[in-house]
Formats: sequence, structure tokens, C-alpha cells
Amino acid sequence: MTVANRRRPQASRRTGWRLAVRSTSRAILLVIVLLCVGGMYLAVSAKVADAGRQVLTLESRKRDLLQANKELTAQLAALTAPERMMARALALGFRPAAPDEIQYLKVPGYEPPTPFVAPRPPASTEGSKTMLSPAYTETLGEWLTRVFGRTGAQP
Amino acid sequence: MGLVAATLLIQLVRVQFGPYAPIFAARGNASVGRVEQVVPARGQIYDRDGQILATNANLYHIEIEIRQLTPRSQQDIAAVLSKLLVIPFENLHNQLTRDWASQGQFRIRLTRPDGQGGNLPITVDQSVADVLNGFLADPTAPDLSGLAMVSAPKRVYPAGSLAGHVLGFVNEEGKGFFGVEGYYDEWLAGKPITIEQPLIPPEARPEPNPPAGVNLVLTIDTEIQQMVEDALKESIKSSQAESGQIIVMDPHTGEILAMAASPELDPNNYQPWLKKDKQGKEPVITPGASAQYEPGSTFKILTMAAALDTGAVTPDTTFVDTGSIEVGGHEILNWDGRAWGPQTMTGCMQHSLNVCLAYVASDKLGAKDFYQYLANFGIGRLTGIDLAGEVAGQLRTPRHPLWTESDLGTNSFGQGVSVTPVQLLAAVSAVANGGVMVQPHLVREVVGPQGAYWPKTTVLGQPISKQTADTLSQMLSQSLSGETQYAHVNGYELAGKTGTAQVPTEYGYDPNLTIASFIGWGPLADPQFMVLVRLDKPKTSPWGSVVAAPVFQQVVQRLVVLMHIPPDSVRAQLSVGG
Repeated sequence: MTVANRRRPQASRRTGWRLAVRSTSRAILLVIVLLCVGGMYLAVSAKVADAGRQVLTLESRKRDLLQANKELTAQLAALTAPERMMARALALGFRPAAPDEIQYLKVPGYEPPTPFVAPRPPASTEGSKTMLSPAYTETLGEWLTRVFGRTGAQP
Repeated sequence: MGLVAATLLIQLVRVQFGPYAPIFAARGNASVGRVEQVVPARGQIYDRDGQILATNANLYHIEIEIRQLTPRSQQDIAAVLSKLLVIPFENLHNQLTRDWASQGQFRIRLTRPDGQGGNLPITVDQSVADVLNGFLADPTAPDLSGLAMVSAPKRVYPAGSLAGHVLGFVNEEGKGFFGVEGYYDEWLAGKPITIEQPLIPPEARPEPNPPAGVNLVLTIDTEIQQMVEDALKESIKSSQAESGQIIVMDPHTGEILAMAASPELDPNNYQPWLKKDKQGKEPVITPGASAQYEPGSTFKILTMAAALDTGAVTPDTTFVDTGSIEVGGHEILNWDGRAWGPQTMTGCMQHSLNVCLAYVASDKLGAKDFYQYLANFGIGRLTGIDLAGEVAGQLRTPRHPLWTESDLGTNSFGQGVSVTPVQLLAAVSAVANGGVMVQPHLVREVVGPQGAYWPKTTVLGQPISKQTADTLSQMLSQSLSGETQYAHVNGYELAGKTGTAQVPTEYGYDPNLTIASFIGWGPLADPQFMVLVRLDKPKTSPWGSVVAAPVFQQVVQRLVVLMHIPPDSVRAQLSVGG
């Protein structure tokens, strides 16, 4: 009993000191965790913003290139229009052949050129709107809905 | 501290779930992005060898982002655009200073007066856009803050007026009219979609592609088209005709290889074609399918085909031409008013005798068979050619309350009946194609995102037997050499018929004006082409044999070269392995 009574004040003093250290270290740990989470969030946000900026820039560049391509296609077609080609041929000294100036030969194995096939127009990508992973774009609420909604839907 | 936190929390809940939550949400969304309509590129149009006939370039609409405007930029934008585009400064300044925000509009498209009391959106081409972009990038240039250029597709026809009547045109709103552009407008246009365009990087996504318009490959061969247009231009000039058309068609497939019309239409500059002429008439676009006319003697081909097919006559059946015949109380005379005496049916076609053909229709065939055959040939009905604005022509049959027996006489030689050039080509294709009538068409291939589709030849019917077709072809080949030497082409056996039709007016037929025409095909053994020439109101001579037949000759002489068709003798040699 005597020993126990003697030890109690010392223990309570030690406990107070320990509690203070413990609570301080917990607070510091919490701050560190928050800083880490904040840092990670900042890093991810920065990456998303950077990726988004690149997407916007590339989309804009794609639009410009497609427009330039259209202009060039139209110019090329104008330059090779039959009237212009005929004028150039005449200027170079050529003239249309008359029927009796042509010799016809039978060439064994000759295959006539295949008919022209026009290029396919681009396929629609209307349905695939989200090319970026949802991890980059969804909010916490959306994530919770997705995770718990999916879990709840499972049998 | 706790109080502040509690206030914040309450405010958060109020914003998220309170009565004004939708308003806050809308404001939030407005700052995230803007809703835009993405219009797919209109499909391109090619000739059969891949030459581009219609494509897209860019024009730019001038748009203003109201929230970015400053008093200085309002002044500068109005000044710059006024100078570049010759638009009154006040007009532009008024548009820029109006209180759009109170109307809920934050982005507007600038317009210009159209001269008729209305306004049209301002559009600028690439060169003006480059100037404006230069100003936007230069901090020392006029302040154009808030100005944006929105690209929009512009239809371009690189070959100018070449095949303009076949193509039709596309207006500023992107809608196709007339020709192929009008007929295939929905297919070519694709489907615009509405998207939300994000403004902040984290929300950026690749832009979706809307369902694109299809690309079309036409049956037109631009080399043949150019040659035919040149020939038409020359013939109009030499005959002093008012207008004209030449159509080249493959009689086996119905593919239109060339379709020229004068006056020519440049689809890049279609506006003059929207106005009425001095007589208040609307100009006829794509006349090959929409300009009906009385075919005159070219129609005798169908009358004779019907008579041969029923067995009412043979090529050697004789007829004594006295120079006139009365049908239904109406006296019919020959083109020259002469009596030609005894003639075979081949002679009747060779000399293009109205009296003989009226006799065949009225005495040999009868109204019932005659009109039944015309119906089988598709006269008075649409051919279904893939051109917008086709008309059906006019044919009065015995069922019509105004029909009289005299119509039978006049219809037999192509008077009192109206057809379109493609309708006549389709009908006569039965003679050139062993009795089988094919549908004329202009699209050879349709290419969409999923793949290519080749429309097949459509058979419209078999109005006559193969034997009748072959017999009549021979008759027309023989008669052609006698009727006019102008349609002859060395080395090639051809068949054809001239036509000279008077022009009907509200006071009867004009005694001086005619429509001179020719329809022919060849080589006779295996026809590869049909050519129809039509010249409206020629002045140098009214006769088809004088003004239209030489054009046929000129066209065929070049056509056999461009289509690589050897002369008959060479073809016979090659076919036996020589």
C-alpha cells in the first residue's frame, strides 16, 4: 500500500507529460497527413489541368490543320480542273487526238484500273465522350455514387 | 471560430439544397462551358475518276463575347470591321453596345444589312480572318477584345461552272438545292450534334465527331463533261441558239457520263439564278431533268417501236404518202409540205414523214396500243433520276377530258406532248439496249463511315422485245445515213434521229422558233453511249438535221477517243484475237 501510494504522484506526472507529447505528435501527424493529401490533391489537380490544357491546345491545332487541309484540297482540285489542265496541255503543244490517229492493241493479261473509291468520312465518336479516365474528372460525390451504387447493384 | 464554421456550413447547405440551388447550379455550369452545335463537314462530290467536283473550305462568322467587351474594344472592333468589310460604323457600334446581357445573351453573331431591310450574318474569308488574327495577336494593334471568329464550312466547286447544273448548289445556311446537292442533301449534310464545350482545362475532353455526311462519286466523267460543254458552247454560238443541252448516257447502265446545259451555272456564284428574268420567269436549273419540251421527230422512234413491236408494221411495210392526212378532223402535213409517194417504214423514218407516222399511229396501232406503249416507255412519268426538281412532262391520254383523236395524230410525231431530255433518253434506251429501259442516274458510289455502297442499275421495264429493238436500230442506222450526212462518224455504225419541234406559245405554235434536237447511239453492234443534243431557238437554221446533228457528230468523234472505243473494223479484229 505504502509503495503504491508513493508511486502514484510520479505516475500521474509521467502520464501528463506523455499525454502532451502524444497529443502533439498526433496533431503533427494529422497535419503531415493533411499536407500529404493536400499535396497529392494539388499534384493530381495540376496534372489534370496540364492534361486538359494539352487537350484544348491539341484540339485547337487539330481544328486549324483540318481547316488548312480543306483549303489545300480545294486549291489542289482547282489546279487540276479539266479546263485548266486542257489549257496547260495546249500551251505545251499537245492537242486532242482524232479517232483515226489512235492505234488499238490487244495486250494479253492487261487489267483495267480498278474504279475509284472515295475516302471514307470520319466515323462518329459522339458516344465516346469521355476519353480521359474518370479518375481524373469525377468528383468525390460522383466517385462515392459510382462505388456504392455499383456495390449496391451487385447481387 | 465555431460560429464562422457553422455559418459556412449553413451557407453550403443552402447553396447546395436550398430554393435557389438551381440558379446557383446554372451559374456554375455557365462558367464551366458553353453549349455549341458541331456541324459535320459536308460530304465531298467526286467525278468517276476521283476529280473533286464539290468540297469544303472555310469562312468565318464574327462573334462577340459580350462579357469580354470594353468601351475601347467596342470602338475599335466597329472601326476595324467597318473599314475591312465596308459596313457602316454606326450599325456595328450599335450591335456592340446594345444591352445583350439583360436579354440573357452573352455571345452574339454580328450581322450586316442585306440591302432589303434585313440583316445577314457577317462572313469573312481566310484572308480577312488572317488580318483579324494578326490584330488579336498584336498588343499594339487596335483592341479587339471580345471578338472571336467562328469557322463555318463553305461549299466550294473547284471546277467552277463545270457540271454546275448537275451539282446544284449549297446556300449559306448549308442547305443543298437542285441537282445532286439538292437530291442528296440529307445524306451529304450529316447530322449536327450539340455539345458542351468546356472552358476550363480540367474539364477538357476531345471533341466528338458528329455523324459525317457521305462522300459521293458521280457517274460523270469530267473529261467528257468538259468536251461536251465546249461543244455545246460552240454550237450555241454558231447556231445563235438561246440555250441548249447535251447529255451523254451509257444505255446499258443508265449512267450519265456528261450533262451539259447552257446558260451555264457556276455553283460558287448561284445568286443570279435565284432571280426571275425579264419576263418574270424563274430560270430553269438542271434543265436536263426539269425543262420539258415538245420533242418533235425524235419522238417518232417511240411510235415506230410500238408499231413494230405489235406487229402492225415491218420495216418493209409500204405507205403511199400523199402529203397530208386527216386525223380527228385535224390535217397533218409533212415538215416540207410535200408528198413523198410510196415509202417503206424505213423511208418514213429516213425522211421523217409526219403523215406516215400519223397514219401508223391512227390506222395501224390505234389509240389504245399507242398510249399503252407510251406509258410503258415512261412518257408522262418521272424517271426517278437522282436530281432534284425533275418534272414528269405532259401527255394527254384518251382518259383526259380534253383529249381528242387529233391528239393521236400529232402525238405520233412528237407534237402536243412534252418530255424532258432524260425522259426521252430513258425511253429510247430501250431501243439501244435490246428492249430494256434503264433508269438514268448520276451517283455511282456512296461512301459513308461504315463503308461504300454501289447503286445497281435499275431496270424501268421492257417496253419492246429485243427483236424490235434490234430491227428499229438497224432502220435508224440506215435512215440516219439518208436523213443527214452531218451525223456520220467515219468507222463507226451509229443510229439516231433528228428532231425539229415548233415552240408552242399561248397563241399557237410560233412559225419561226424551233427546238432542234438529235438523239443517237453507237456503236450499233454494242452501244456504249447515247447522246442527246437539244438547241433551243436556233437562228441560223431551224432544222435539227442542220444544227443539232453536226453537234452529235462532233461529240461522238471525241467521245470514241475518250471512251477508248475502237472503230467497228478494229473491234471486230480484236474480238477474234487479231
